[in-house]
Amino acid sequence: MTAMANISWKWAAALLTVILALVPFWPGALDSYLFSFLFFVFIYAVMAQGWNLVAGFGGQISLGSHAFFGLGAYTTAILWSGNYLWGSLYETFPRIYYFDPVTMVLSGLVAALAAALIGLPLLSKLRGDYFALGTLGFGEILKVIFVNGGDFTGGAFGLVTPSSTFETLMPHYYVGLGLTVGTAVAIGWLMRSRYGLALIAVRDDEMAASANGINTLKVKVAAFAGSAFIAGIAGSLYSFYIFHVGPDSVFNLDWMLLPLMMTVVGGTGTVLGPILGAFIMYAVFDIARIFVPDYHPIISGLTIILAMLFLPKGLVRKILPMSLARN
Amino acid sequence: MQSDETVLSLEAVTKRFGGLVVLDGIDLVVGPGELVGLIGPNGAGKSTLFNVMTAIYAPTRGKVRFKGKDITGAAPHHICRFGIARTFQLVRTFLTMTAFENVMVGAVYGSGGRVRHARDAAEAALELVGLSAKRNVTTAHMTLSDRRLLEIARAMASEPSLLLLDEPMAGLNPTEIRQMVEVIRRTRSEKGISILWVEHKVDAIMKVCSRVVVLDHGVKIADGTPVEIVANRKVIEAYLGEPAA
Repeated sequence: MTAMANISWKWAAALLTVILALVPFWPGALDSYLFSFLFFVFIYAVMAQGWNLVAGFGGQISLGSHAFFGLGAYTTAILWSGNYLWGSLYETFPRIYYFDPVTMVLSGLVAALAAALIGLPLLSKLRGDYFALGTLGFGEILKVIFVNGGDFTGGAFGLVTPSSTFETLMPHYYVGLGLTVGTAVAIGWLMRSRYGLALIAVRDDEMAASANGINTLKVKVAAFAGSAFIAGIAGSLYSFYIFHVGPDSVFNLDWMLLPLMMTVVGGTGTVLGPILGAFIMYAVFDIARIFVPDYHPIISGLTIILAMLFLPKGLVRKILPMSLARN
Repeated sequence: MQSDETVLSLEAVTKRFGGLVVLDGIDLVVGPGELVGLIGPNGAGKSTLFNVMTAIYAPTRGKVRFKGKDITGAAPHHICRFGIARTFQLVRTFLTMTAFENVMVGAVYGSGGRVRHARDAAEAALELVGLSAKRNVTTAHMTLSDRRLLEIARAMASEPSLLLLDEPMAGLNPTEIRQMVEVIRRTRSEKGISILWVEHKVDAIMKVCSRVVVLDHGVKIADGTPVEIVANRKVIEAYLGEPAA
């Protein structure tokens, strides 16, 4: 029976993906509010999925997502504005950096590398709250470094990339949708693999995991780096939208706090939870911001309190069969 | 002492926490296929000795050898791969996993390449402890007794040559204790592995073990057959106090 439910939910998710993929063909969709709304939902869903990997599945509560988001955004802006990647090709193809997959993957890799370097000492020494505070500190340190990075990082103002490349929000929308579906499928597959088994073991009981042959530090650092890779790619996508990457915008704590709340409301440690949470919470945040601008933090805060009171395990676990919600 | 004939040997293991000597020059040998009981009053150092063997603590002095190889100070996750599997006094199962997934962790990660077919090894281990019917039950919904059995299955799925049991009877009722004794007996007879068993319930140890080691205040005070142990003056003193003169 659960297998049946499993299959039908997969079909429902596939159908929703197709519908979302067809949205841009709707007359007038490109100029609609809904279109940019969905683009932001995708960015947040990807960020939430990244946080969910290390915190939801791995049990290591990181408060440093914004650091990796910012690193990804900066890497893209630095590579592009300084033309460090494509040399003379850039003159022939002035749009070569715009949505360049190499630039995007490099942005993810820089974030992942930073996470591995900071994760090794943090995860071998710190647990629980202390690890969380360590990652929070890392984000603040990075921000200061980028403010003082001189011409390389553009200082307190940041870097500007050629916004003349912008035509429509279409590529942003599709890349966002692709990343949302891609990260969900990848993490769903990962959690059914041997690595997923080890990650859950570490989350459930680190000492027992170690006594059963799992190199817990390696597993935790890999999850942290994987999570940072996802955040870095999201940062790269955002920089193609904003064309101005500054320390206050991309290292903003919101890039950590909102995905965290979305995941918790949707369901930590589930694949669909972060996506569902991103949809619902971003809708609440945005509607409150538009209709009651003076009170919107109150409405958003209230929603989170209510969600925690009535859905402590997340929305997904309420509406989906247990077997599916877990994976 | 011929190292190739012993599975586990501790040589003059001493462990100090600051000024407190918890283990004082412990020598201990476990041979192939032996079922050795380790008893002692509270605070005797049994758990610390376990933690030294499984590399959770490094000994202040002394060596731990496994099949002749010095494993003192190895990384904790290597111990199981060498072939030393353990259970915990305060049960440590992976609560959000099913019974089968728990056992798979031992088969996949604990075996260090010994297990070729992890699924088969996991099924066999569940069968061994009698939990096959509960393979898809989430561990959080299992009884303490089943979780203790599950820990043994998880340990056995890594196909170890030495199994360390840390008070597997703690918190069990008499029926469950009989079941546990049966599982331990079966594990030893079917798999032919060595077992070192720490226990508070001395009567269970005396019935099942071929050899018993007694610790008191970090010192080994006796090592012999159950018959020798119950007649040992030092052991009686450790448990009941000195006789009135």
